[in-house]
Amino acid sequence: MDTVTYPESKSVRFIEENFIPLRIPSDSKSHSEKFNVKWTPTLITLSPEGREHHRTVGFLGPEELIPSLLLGLGKYHYENDRFDEALARFGQLLEEYGQSGSAPEAIFLVGVCSYKRSHDAKPLKAAYEKLTVAFPDSEWTKRAYPYRLL
Amino acid sequence: MAAEIKWQTEMDEALSLGRSASKPVLLDFFNPN
Repeated sequence: MDTVTYPESKSVRFIEENFIPLRIPSDSKSHSEKFNVKWTPTLITLSPEGREHHRTVGFLGPEELIPSLLLGLGKYHYENDRFDEALARFGQLLEEYGQSGSAPEAIFLVGVCSYKRSHDAKPLKAAYEKLTVAFPDSEWTKRAYPYRLL
Repeated sequence: MAAEIKWQTEMDEALSLGRSASKPVLLDFFNPN
């Protein structure tokens, strides 16, 4: 990450604009035990209150880092019931990084957020249909399987 | 000169900055060896 991903100017700009970046060595026992960190790199999106919203373990290349961070930002808003902000982040992810590894979960969460905002079940079914076309083998397609009946 | 991420190194300070700026914290556990 230090030699390939973080030096990318796009990565620097995105992180500085959207996060307070914090690095902690994995041998800092009190922190690694608190967050149950067993491998590096482990990247966690935390609310300013210290609540975890998203985690990745292992290397992310430049093409996967920003979509993963957008997913974390979206989940941060979603889990605080800010559905419009969450949908904006997931939408940005899907528009700019629609083939990334983070895209299937974003499609799933677009359906969930839209449903929670409107109590209309159609977005859940739409998410399943989009997943079956774009990512038929994704675990998120399997998780959305019941929504085909809505 | 290439830009660099200005990493915080203290949890409490980063969370306090996050509250002030209304931003989440990106916590990176790295291997120091």
